[in-house]
Amino acid sequence: MTTTSPARRQKRDKLLTRRAARWLDARLGGAKYARTALGKVFPDHWSFLLGELALYAFVVLLATGVYLTFFFHPGNQIVTYHGSYAPLHGVQMSEAYRSAVELSFDVRAGLVMRQIHHWAALLFVASIVVHLMRIFFTGAFRRPREVNWMIGVLLLILAIFNGFAGYSLLDDQLSGTGLRIAYSITLSIPLAGTWLASLLFGGEFPGPDIIDRLYVIHILLLPAVIALLIGIHLFLVVRHKHTQFGGMGRTEENVVGEAVWPSFAFKSLGLMMLVAAVLAALGGLAQINPIWLYGPFDPAEVSSASQPDWYMGWLDGSLRLFPPLEIRAFGFEVPAPFFPGALLAGITFGLLFAWPSLEALFTGDRRVHHLLDRPRDRPVRTSLGVATLSFYTVLTLAASNDVIATTFGLSVNAVLLTFRALVIVLPPIAALVTYRLCNELQARDIAGGYVPPDRPRVRWELLRFWRWRAMRRASRAPSTAG
Amino acid sequence: MSDPTAPDPIPEDAARTALAKRGERLTTLSFAVSIFGALALAVVYWRGGQPQLEGIFLCLALGGLGVGMIVWARYFMPHGTDVEARHQIESTEEEIDAFREEFERGEHILTRRSLLVRMGTAAVAALGVALIFPIRSLGPRPGKGFKSTPYRKGIRLVTDDGTLIKADDVSVDGVITAFPEGHTDAADASTLLIRPNEPVQARPGRESWTPGNLVAYSKLCTHVGCPVGLYQAGVHLLLCPCHQSTFDVLDGARPIFGPAARSLPQLPIEVDGEGYIVARGDFSGPTGPGFWDRDR
Amino acid sequence: MIRPRLLRLVMLVPLVAAGLYLVTGTSTARGAEHGDTGRGRELYLTGCSSCHGIHGKGVEANGEQRGPSLEHAGPAITNYMLTTGRMPLANSEDRPVRKDPAYDTEQIRDLIAYVSTLGEGPAIPDVDITTGDLAAGGELYRANCQPCHSASGAGGALSYGRAAPQLSKATPTQIGSAIRTGPGQMPVFGPDTLSSHEVDSIARYVKYLEHPDDRGGVSLGRLGPIPEGFLIWVLGVGLLIVICTWIGGRTRNRREVEPQP
Repeated sequence: MTTTSPARRQKRDKLLTRRAARWLDARLGGAKYARTALGKVFPDHWSFLLGELALYAFVVLLATGVYLTFFFHPGNQIVTYHGSYAPLHGVQMSEAYRSAVELSFDVRAGLVMRQIHHWAALLFVASIVVHLMRIFFTGAFRRPREVNWMIGVLLLILAIFNGFAGYSLLDDQLSGTGLRIAYSITLSIPLAGTWLASLLFGGEFPGPDIIDRLYVIHILLLPAVIALLIGIHLFLVVRHKHTQFGGMGRTEENVVGEAVWPSFAFKSLGLMMLVAAVLAALGGLAQINPIWLYGPFDPAEVSSASQPDWYMGWLDGSLRLFPPLEIRAFGFEVPAPFFPGALLAGITFGLLFAWPSLEALFTGDRRVHHLLDRPRDRPVRTSLGVATLSFYTVLTLAASNDVIATTFGLSVNAVLLTFRALVIVLPPIAALVTYRLCNELQARDIAGGYVPPDRPRVRWELLRFWRWRAMRRASRAPSTAG
Repeated sequence: MSDPTAPDPIPEDAARTALAKRGERLTTLSFAVSIFGALALAVVYWRGGQPQLEGIFLCLALGGLGVGMIVWARYFMPHGTDVEARHQIESTEEEIDAFREEFERGEHILTRRSLLVRMGTAAVAALGVALIFPIRSLGPRPGKGFKSTPYRKGIRLVTDDGTLIKADDVSVDGVITAFPEGHTDAADASTLLIRPNEPVQARPGRESWTPGNLVAYSKLCTHVGCPVGLYQAGVHLLLCPCHQSTFDVLDGARPIFGPAARSLPQLPIEVDGEGYIVARGDFSGPTGPGFWDRDR
Repeated sequence: MIRPRLLRLVMLVPLVAAGLYLVTGTSTARGAEHGDTGRGRELYLTGCSSCHGIHGKGVEANGEQRGPSLEHAGPAITNYMLTTGRMPLANSEDRPVRKDPAYDTEQIRDLIAYVSTLGEGPAIPDVDITTGDLAAGGELYRANCQPCHSASGAGGALSYGRAAPQLSKATPTQIGSAIRTGPGQMPVFGPDTLSSHEVDSIARYVKYLEHPDDRGGVSLGRLGPIPEGFLIWVLGVGLLIVICTWIGGRTRNRREVEPQP
């Protein structure tokens, strides 16, 4: 493209698309920026595509979600069903539930869209979690990417919330049970609980307004915020340039990989198509959330084996495992679900937000990093991460304790007690095993001639917080002297 | 499909030609599959739709396109050799100083009128506070409703379709979900009427609450409020399907397992002259999950 | 020890008797009329008496009840227990679960006839699912049955190792018998709680749940979000990660097909 004759250029620019592009450039002047975008280099490693999985799941969510809004009517007025699903004929139900059933049975392509949407929601959160794991274990959150890490955590929270809001909309028995639990956890917050629950639900459970409100939150508020945050997230990725693993000429000062145009763009778009294809196959072939079997929500009814979608499983599991601890003093009470519900969620996301600062504090490493760590080169971080993962995995599995019990013919009580023990015992074991494994792998690397980068010492003494003041004084003394 | 500016493949490099052929075949095949999927999808939809076929053909249409694009990229596009330099992200000290200087010049202009600054700040703060108030419209003040149900002395118990319940309707080992008459939609008042096959050990002061060994408890779990629907008649246990809290029906619905910390509230009942079950007042405590000022 | 048992007896007798008359009028022994009490007694003595006692009053050994008294059993529960294969038990400590019946139809009839002579209990209900109302049955099922058997009839866990069974193999008569007699931990739903038409409707819905409309595709056991979550991780995330390794895989060893312009 270096030598193009004017005649040829003229001929080329007669194409309609090129003319349109020229027209736009004359008004916006974007050609030079677009050229930089085409030339941007992305390192190629399969794990760098995990975030894209989440992005494309979100694209599928938007596309199918818009279609669903044309047929779904939120609303809690009671109507009678007369659609084509015979086992519900003449049954009284809410408008929301009826339209969801009609959408599944009487709208052509409605069910497949609904199921793709639901599978995409499960995939969206799952791929965010996998992406987060990649970022964590390779240390990609370190300076200068702390802000993007926090945006990512925020996206995880919003994805979970929006997933929950979405499955609560349908007003079937299972979703109503989930809403009831969410209400009770809100109610359990000390001091503000009753006010928060009342404001959120528009009164006592089930509340007259909750479905309408969740609808606006689910289809407008949260998607807009998520889309905006994804935009900022990607902008920052471009701004920082992508991280890469070291070696083979890759340094802190360069990015080695493929240019966006055409290789990376084509592969990425291809990945989007494949994400959508996998979701389409799931949506068409694997039944998800058959609400017609669950029936309309009735606050006095419940089915055995009531579980939330997987991404809420850890909260449900902790609700199951936490001992019956209710604190009562001075006529006030902190009810049992506060600790495993509200408090655990607060601690979980609080720690996630704070992790980059915490690690910087404990390692004293505040330098800029563009080269990624190999997990084995950071045994402390890696083992802490594995321990945390094992903790939340046990909680998630605990949410299925009754199904595990019936499937394997065990006592649900025994299963629950086992999980209580596991949730305490497993994380430290996982940490120790991982630590040993990292050191073994590193020793093998060194034997093979690979020189691992220096690893900063973890300042464990900082855990003795009661000595912080003395330590600060000690560190200040020489500096004032010098 | 190939770039017109590129020179033709060197003829003697037979392997390269074979590879190019293979790549082109694969890509073409993928796109053909995609076209087939899209057309078949249209036909299925036109013929009335079928969820499984719709899913399969949509998958083929999207997947064929995706595979084709990736194969194309893998065979015919350059990979893995571009290098780009990184630039420092933070601003230089000079840039920061220049910014600070300019900003402070503006700030100085503002702060010359300190009264205006103060009043302006106060006005913005007042507006902020005023804008918080509309949140209050979202829901009513949490009042007595959290602590009481429609049950009063003399209110009869009915089933969910409003039929009055006679004491004889509940057989031994039987269980019925009941509501206060006229309030079958009261979510906080759902009640379990149980007649165990062994005598209920009444709590002190509740000896007369179980006429004919018929006992009435709130159906809402004291943990997070799921209906405690599972009555195990042989062992007289109520199990909550949500989080496995287990309550002993004979012993005042005391929690004996799981995360619930409080007994299910009991409803004082009696049998009236016509044999109907009648409440003698509200539950022994607020029903459902706990909250901050439940005891107040 | 005596007082609660006495009370139980006193309460049970009139109630059960009254309930019985209401359901069945006087035909206490439908199903029993054909059976031969003599042959039934022989079968009983070899197969049942070790736990239920020679006179059907139950057996207590070392303070543990090996088998309950059959004085209030009657045809419905006997029919249910024998036709579902739950009885006889090889070991009295086993939990009764559905098996192939140990007796043939004739023998079961004889056993019912004999057990009916030991005392009175609900008759085998006449369940006709063709007259049942499917939608009404669904509503009653969700109100009364799904807490234990789950919305899809897949069954569910109860306390301390007990379980509410899966319903897919139950016949209408077995469903009706279970509703009326409350076998195991199941509560009793008498004719004042559920009319015989309502039982027909429930049985019809339970039979429907055997092959419900799985319009969405593979049913995944109809166990709700657990298999769904499992599938999205194994098949969704798993497959897509494989795809990612394919896309992001080390292509640098591959020969460039077309040299760069």
